Amino acid sequence: MFVLSGYEYFLGFLLVCSAVPAIAIISSQLLRPKRQGVERRTTYESGMEPIGGAWIQFNIRYYMFSLVFVIFDVETVFLYPWAVAFNQLGLLAFAEALVFIAILVIGLVYAWRKGALEWS
Amino acid sequence: MNLAEGVQIVSFGILAFMMLASAIGVVLLNNIVYSAFLLGVVFVSISGLYILLNAAFVAAAQILIYVGAVNVLILFGIMLVNKRRDFARIPNAWLNQGVTALVCGGLFALLSSMIIATPWSISTAPIAGDAALVEIGKHFFTDFLLPFELASVLLLMALIGAIVIARREFFPEEGEDLSAESNLTLPERPRELTGGRR
Repeated sequence: MFVLSGYEYFLGFLLVCSAVPAIAIISSQLLRPKRQGVERRTTYESGMEPIGGAWIQFNIRYYMFSLVFVIFDVETVFLYPWAVAFNQLGLLAFAEALVFIAILVIGLVYAWRKGALEWS
Repeated sequence: MNLAEGVQIVSFGILAFMMLASAIGVVLLNNIVYSAFLLGVVFVSISGLYILLNAAFVAAAQILIYVGAVNVLILFGIMLVNKRRDFARIPNAWLNQGVTALVCGGLFALLSSMIIATPWSISTAPIAGDAALVEIGKHFFTDFLLPFELASVLLLMALIGAIVIARREFFPEEGEDLSAESNLTLPERPRELTGGRR
């Protein structure tokens, strides 16, 4: 049996979302001037001159920030069912969730103390 | 009003095509960045399949974790790698490729025979829908409590391990020549050696 009730709006949004980039590109193609020059081929017209290739090694700090983000992203996914079922679960589940959060707060404090959250 | 069966079949077809095409693209494209983005498309299509199966929470978790987290980590991992180089050809590469094809084909045959042989019993129980999320929450705090708490310990280990690996404990001595260490073109590269606190 197939239900999917309430997804009509989702489908509508999906259609609109896929239409917007296509409309933007096609309309700018129709509206823009046809002249082509050297300046127009640069990445940022009348911006900074790009130097070197785009494929460079990134600082490892970016990776650290994204990893801290990933940890708390996963934490959110775990806590969401708890928050939805909060009324049916009672006090014990509240304490268990606090333990879960406390273990991750240890990690956050560690990251903070080690300066992983700072761009020094 | 429910979406009709036809819409389901058409959506399944679109999602399956998206998934297979981008999975083939992940393997075949030479530019590894394109492969990583196409992997994101694969994950999004899998999430669409979950929505078709009335598993909205699993679909949201798929988007959040795989597209938002795992794929971002893969992209950052690619960007941490230095510029692409020209690799030398491996001698007897056909042998490796043959063995790989054999293993992959065997795995495919095994899995497909298992899928065909399994008697899939279609449940007649009513679909939980939005109540499934409450059920998941109840399971988390009753019979799946230990894995739930262990997950947080696992996340803690991942976080601390990443910080230990990624943090630079290295401070160069005065006058030490660093030009041999890195041949990078990133303008901000020398600055990070002075930073960091203990």
